[in-house]
Amino acid sequence: MALIELQGINKTYDNGQPLHVLKGVDLHIERGEFVSIMGASGSGKSTLLNILGILDNYDTGTYHLDGTLIKNLTEKQAADYRNRMIGFIFQSFNLIGFKTAVENVELPLYYQGVPRKKRHDLAMEYLDKMGLTPWASHFPNEMSGGQKQRVAIARALITQPRIILADEPTGALDSKTSVEVMALLKQLNQQDGITIIVVTHEGGVANETDKIIHIKDGVIGEIEENTRHDAWEGSVMK
Amino acid sequence: MKLRFDTDTFREILDSLLRNKSRSLLTGFGVFWGIFMLMLLSGGGRGFKQMLENEFEGFAHNTCIIFANQTSKPFKGFKEGRNWEMTYDDVDLLKNLMPELDVVSPTIALWGKSIVRGDIVSSRAVVKGTRADYALIETPKLKYGRYINDMDNAQERKVCVIGKRVYNELFPEGGDPCGQRIRIDGAFYSVVGVNWSEGSGININGNAADMVVIPINQARKAYNLGNTIQLLCFTAKEGFVMSDLTQRVREIISRAHYVDPTDEQALFLLNTQLIFGIVDNLFKGVNFIIWLIGLGTLLAGVVGVSNIMMVSVRERTTEIGIRRAIGATPRQILGQIISESIVLTLVAGMSGIVFSVLILYGVELATMEDGILMVAYQVPFWTALLAASLLAILGVVAGLMPAARAMQIKPVDAMRDE
Repeated sequence: MALIELQGINKTYDNGQPLHVLKGVDLHIERGEFVSIMGASGSGKSTLLNILGILDNYDTGTYHLDGTLIKNLTEKQAADYRNRMIGFIFQSFNLIGFKTAVENVELPLYYQGVPRKKRHDLAMEYLDKMGLTPWASHFPNEMSGGQKQRVAIARALITQPRIILADEPTGALDSKTSVEVMALLKQLNQQDGITIIVVTHEGGVANETDKIIHIKDGVIGEIEENTRHDAWEGSVMK
Repeated sequence: MKLRFDTDTFREILDSLLRNKSRSLLTGFGVFWGIFMLMLLSGGGRGFKQMLENEFEGFAHNTCIIFANQTSKPFKGFKEGRNWEMTYDDVDLLKNLMPELDVVSPTIALWGKSIVRGDIVSSRAVVKGTRADYALIETPKLKYGRYINDMDNAQERKVCVIGKRVYNELFPEGGDPCGQRIRIDGAFYSVVGVNWSEGSGININGNAADMVVIPINQARKAYNLGNTIQLLCFTAKEGFVMSDLTQRVREIISRAHYVDPTDEQALFLLNTQLIFGIVDNLFKGVNFIIWLIGLGTLLAGVVGVSNIMMVSVRERTTEIGIRRAIGATPRQILGQIISESIVLTLVAGMSGIVFSVLILYGVELATMEDGILMVAYQVPFWTALLAASLLAILGVVAGLMPAARAMQIKPVDAMRDE
């Protein structure tokens, strides 16, 4: 069984007027893949990401994450699965402003009940991996966008999740930093074998991944193999 | 994952509260002020009550005093407007017929006497004849010597216990006057004691400071009073309420003297229990108002905390969303918000308690006389403890609504907000 198996996922939002967002999505992502989900806004990619990240429910179909059926979970179970199985990277970094870099990285372990000392040591280790040791005790507003995103990546990695979900990870970064962040993700995928799913609408970003999944009007369209990274003209981001 | 409370949790709470110092401070101030007012007022109320009680100090609370007066009703052939007097026999009569009574003590008072020692004169003194058991009705504060005793009375000894003013005037050099002799209306009396009592809110036969107490039998003999007495003071035994007994006393005494028992003017009856009852009720009322005001203020403070927590939760939607996205359960969020509310309420409330205790301590120091605590204004320990636990409960209550709102925040909300 693949790491992620979606079968016939349907999702309808009902805000006064029913809106059928996902119309039977089938998707398989294997362990160690580095894929991007591409689509225009309104294509359903955010909804798909929310379902993949156990942030939202779906109406019909099945979603297996690492063999576990993710369906009709209680809030508590969902929180637990998110904590242990999924690492999030957000466009706006979503670091907690009044916590230092290392405290932000520690936070997922805090909710696992890991003792303070062990948590701190582990967080420092991951910050070191991101080359941010000198910035450990700085607050997010004292750091550049790239640094903030690397803190967020360290936070996503610290629980050793099955997958990393990155939602427009370069959306708030300049092109140079974007390249660096994508390079970092690629390195994590290649050296540590971490499964990474990037959701983006930018072709340049998608081009850095090994597989591009196009989503349009709530259904999966073309799936491009992109091991040579030549899917995008010129292969330059932005 | 259960709700933990350790240094980690506490740091999380402290972090959130200290992040917005001025807001936390202002919010806490509402609670602080509420508990401060409550404690201060209740302490002050206690102090005032005690001050008033000091006024009545040394006076038995269940005492009743009766004395004879002109009749206002005709009875058994006697016309109204007759003057009559109680006699010494009434003491035994009451004692025998009413076992519910504890002490029954008669007194005679002679006003405007001049007390002479050598060439020093203390004028406007009151000579009061009574028995040893009178000390159980109005407790003397003996500075020197003793009170008169049963032997003094039985042997009609010429001894006396002098009041504070009389002592100060007759013995300006101070020191123990016991054994010295003073002259009252040509007769010499040995001083056996000095009553240092200041005279309280209730005076019988005048102020204790102006008093020269002599054995009643000696007074009757010296002033040719025969068998008559002026006042009869009595107390009820433990477990009896004076108000239930007064009617029977009235009947017994009235019938013995051919006075209409329904003639309330003829036998004047002063029940101190009623007076103390009024004071007691007054302070019950005052206390009620104090708690009403204090709790009202406190409640307003708590509503303030709840309100601000609500704002804070709204403001922290993103933060809470992030926490939820990286694995915080709703229960952990609930725990955090309620804990924040409790900590805010408790810290503010505790400082209110501490501050009011300090102020009351200052008041106590200021009202001390010669290093002796006159009035205890301080809040009792158990009241403070009660207030503290009340605060914890109020903290939970204040946190409930904001926490409920925080629990509804979905992790997706974190990403929506940019």
